[in-house]
Amino acid sequence: MEEQQPKVGPTALGKLVLFLFVLACIGGAAWYFRDLVAPGGRGGAKQVNLDEFKKVEAPDTKGVTTVSEYKYVPGEKLPPVKGVSAYKWDAQQKVVSFPINVWIGWLPIVAANHGFAPSADSVFAKKHGFKVNLKLIDDPVVARDAFAAGDSHVLWGTLDMMVLFAPDLMKDSRSAPRVLQQIDWSSGGDGIVVRGNIHGVSDLKGKTVVYAQNSPSQYFINNLLLNAGIQPSQVKHKFTATAFEAAAAFVADKSIDGCVSWAPDIYNIPDKVKGTRVLTTTAEANKLIADVWAVRADFAKDHPDIVKGLVSGIFEGMDQLKDATFREKAYQWMAEGYGMQADQVRAMANDAHSTNFGENKAFFLNANDPANFERTWKNVTFVYRELGLVDTPTRFDEVMDFSVVQDLDKAGTFASQKDESRTAFAPTSYKKVSAESPILTQTIRINFYPNSANVFEPQHDENGKVVANTLYDPSVSATLEKVARLVGQYERAVVAVVGHTDSSMKGKGTRFEDVKQLSSDRAEAVKQALVKKYNFDPNKFTVEGKGWDEPANPDDPMNQALNRRVEISVYPPEAK
Amino acid sequence: MTTTAAGGSPSPRREPAPSAEAGLLRIREPIPAWQSWLLGIVPVAVLLLVWFGATLGDAEARLISPTILPSPAEVVASLPQLWFERELTRNIGVSFLRVVEGFALAVAVAFPLGVFMGAFTKVKSAFTPLTVFGAYLPIPTLVPLTLSLFGTGEMQKVMFLALAFSIYLVPLFVAAVDAVDDTYLKTAYTLGASKGQTVGRVLLPISWPDIYQAMRLGFGVGWSYILLAEMVDMGRGLGGIILSSQRRGPREHIYLVLVFIVLVAFLTDRLWAAVGRWLFPYREEKR
Repeated sequence: MEEQQPKVGPTALGKLVLFLFVLACIGGAAWYFRDLVAPGGRGGAKQVNLDEFKKVEAPDTKGVTTVSEYKYVPGEKLPPVKGVSAYKWDAQQKVVSFPINVWIGWLPIVAANHGFAPSADSVFAKKHGFKVNLKLIDDPVVARDAFAAGDSHVLWGTLDMMVLFAPDLMKDSRSAPRVLQQIDWSSGGDGIVVRGNIHGVSDLKGKTVVYAQNSPSQYFINNLLLNAGIQPSQVKHKFTATAFEAAAAFVADKSIDGCVSWAPDIYNIPDKVKGTRVLTTTAEANKLIADVWAVRADFAKDHPDIVKGLVSGIFEGMDQLKDATFREKAYQWMAEGYGMQADQVRAMANDAHSTNFGENKAFFLNANDPANFERTWKNVTFVYRELGLVDTPTRFDEVMDFSVVQDLDKAGTFASQKDESRTAFAPTSYKKVSAESPILTQTIRINFYPNSANVFEPQHDENGKVVANTLYDPSVSATLEKVARLVGQYERAVVAVVGHTDSSMKGKGTRFEDVKQLSSDRAEAVKQALVKKYNFDPNKFTVEGKGWDEPANPDDPMNQALNRRVEISVYPPEAK
Repeated sequence: MTTTAAGGSPSPRREPAPSAEAGLLRIREPIPAWQSWLLGIVPVAVLLLVWFGATLGDAEARLISPTILPSPAEVVASLPQLWFERELTRNIGVSFLRVVEGFALAVAVAFPLGVFMGAFTKVKSAFTPLTVFGAYLPIPTLVPLTLSLFGTGEMQKVMFLALAFSIYLVPLFVAAVDAVDDTYLKTAYTLGASKGQTVGRVLLPISWPDIYQAMRLGFGVGWSYILLAEMVDMGRGLGGIILSSQRRGPREHIYLVLVFIVLVAFLTDRLWAAVGRWLFPYREEKR
C-alpha cells in the first residue's frame, strides 16, 4: 500500500535530522528529570550511628536484680485476631501441619512424633489427643507462603527471620506469628570463614564478604561488624539467595575475603581450600541465633490446648532423647524424613543446642537475661533497621507469646528440666587470654568522675557534694546494656575488659602505677556491674588496666576524650 | 457458535464451506485494528476485576489474604517506594543490559552453529545429542557450575543467560535453515553455485525471516531466567528485588516488578516486530 502514497513530506536527510532532534529532546528531558526517572535511592554509603546501638532501650537506673519476670499478660499486647479463621483443618483427624527445614534442632519433635508422618504412637497422639505432620520445607519463602495461605499451621524460623517476616504476615491478623517456644540455639551450625589475611572482625574493613541476604547469615555478620564499631558500609557485601551459594561463591571467587554460611560447609572449606580459616561460629556466639517456631494467631486462638500440647510434646521429646537407644532411633526417623543417611544426621548433632524448659523460661520469662527473646528481637531489629531492611519494626511483645511456658512453669510440669546450659569458666589471666587475637573488640566510653571507678557515680555540685538521684554518666545503663548483649551472645567466649585512662597528668607528678590501678579499677567496675545485673559468671571475664600506655588512636595520642575508654574483647574459648 | 465455525465436514481448503464463513468466529477473519485492541483489553480487564474482587475489604474479610496477594490499590501505592528507594528504573536497566549481553553472546555462538548444523548433515549429527540434552536440562542446576567457572560478578550472570539463550536458540536456527525448500538448492546447483555460495546466497537469505523470528521469541526467554541469573550477588537487578521481597516484603513489590517485566518484555517485543516489518516487508504480505 505504501508505494501508492504520493511522495510528500521531508526527505531522507530531513527525516534523520528530525529523528535526531526528537531523540535529543527526549534525552535532554530524561537527563533533566534524571532524579525522577531513575532515582538513586538511598543506596551508597549509609552511615550507621553506632551510638544508637546502645540506645535501643531506655536507661534502667535501678537494674541490679538478676531475675525480673514480665508482669503483663501476653494477650494484652498480642494483636487481637479478627475475622473468620482461615487455615485448613479437619476437626476429625486433628493433624497439625508443621513444616521444618534440614536442621538437627528439630530432633526433639521428630522424636516425640515418632518420625515425620502423623502417628498414633506419637507423644502428641497419646498424651495430647492430636497428630502432627512434619513436612520438609527447606525454602523459607515457601514455608512462609504456606503459612500465610493457611496450608500449614506452623512456621519454622530463626528469630531474626521472624523479624523480617512479621510486618508482612501481620497485615492479616489471622496469620500473625505467635512464637511460643524456642527449639534451640545455633551452636556451631552457622559460621564465618575468611582468608588467611583476616585475623579479627576489624580486619574486614574494606574487604568483601558474601552471604545469603535476609537470612541468619546477614544478621550474624552485621551484628558482628556493628559490635566491633565497623560501619556495614565500610565492608563490601555480596549477596546470594542461599547460604550454600555463598559458600560456593567464596570458594570460586578469590576476590571474596569472607563468607557466612552453614555447617558442614564452614568446616569443609578450610580443609579443602588452602589459606582459609574459620573466623568465628555460633559455637562461641552460642546465644545469637535462636531457632523457634510460630503458630498462626487464629489457630492459637481456636486451639489453645493443641498449642500447649505442641510445646509440651517437644519438651517431652527432649526428655526421651536422653535415652541413647531412643536417640539412635530418632536419628533414623530424621534421616528417613530428610532422605539422608543416619550417619549424616548424627554428624549434625553439634550444630545446635536444644533449649529445654529451663532455658525457655530464661528466654521468654526473665526480663534480665542478657540473651532473652526481647533483647534478641530488639538487637535483630536494630541491625536490620540500620541496614534499611525493616521500615516499621514489629514490637517483640506483638510476636512473643509466653503464656504456655508460664502455664507450664506454674504447673511445674517440666521442673526437672533445669537451665544447665551455662558455660562453666575457670579463672584465667589476661596475659593468657590475650595471647591470641580477639574475634572482635568493642570500645565503649563511660564517663567516669575524675579519679572515681564507680560506674554509677552520681553528679557532684560545685562544692564536690553528691547530688542525690543523678548519674555522672546518664547513659551508663544503656552502655552496659550494649556490652551485656554482646557478652550474652558470646556466651561461651572469654571476655577481656581492658581499662584505659587519658594521659592528661602524664609528666605532672602522677605515678604510672596509680593510673594503671585506676584503669584496672574502672575495668573491674564494668565487670562487676555486668555480673550483678545480668548474672554472668565472674570467671568469664578477665580484667586488665593499661593506664595511659595505649592511646586510642596512635596518630592522635593527645585526644584525651577518646583515650578515656574501656575495651571489651571477645576471645574464642580455646584461648583459655 | 463454535460448532458452526469449526466446520466439522472435511472440505477442500481453498473453498471453505459456507458454514466456515458465517457466525461470530470465522477462520482467519481480517479484523480492524480497533477491534483487535478492544478484544485484547477484555481479558486484561476481567483479570484486574477478579484481582480487585478477591482483595476487596478488610484484611480478614478478603477472599485472598493480603499476606499472599495485596490489592491493586496497595500495589499501586507501593510504587513510589519501589521507584525511588529501591531504584526500579536503574535496576531495570541493569537487568536489561544483562539480558542483551547474554543474548548477543548466545547469538554469536548459536547462529554459526545453527546454520552449520542446518546446512551440513554431519555437523548436525555431531551436535544433535548435545542440543537434545540441553533442551531437557533443568537450567537451575547450572547456577553453581557457572559460579565456579565465572565467579560471582557480572560475567557469571551474562554467561548463565547466554547458556540459557543458546540452548533455546540453536534448535530454532537449525529448523529455520532446515525449512528451506530443496527446490532452491537444486536451482542453485543447476546454476553451478559453490558450497559457500549455496549457504550464503540461498540457505541464509531464505531462512533470515525465520531466524529473525526465532531471535524475537528467544529474547523473551531471558526474562524468565533473570531470577536464576541474579540469585548470586543479587545486589542489583530486578531478580534481586523479587528475591529479597519474598523474604522481607513488601509483597507488593513482587507483583509490581512482574508488571514491569511484562511491560518491558512487551515493549521490546513490539520493537522486534517493528524492526522485523522493516527488514522483511515481504513476509508480512504472505498472509
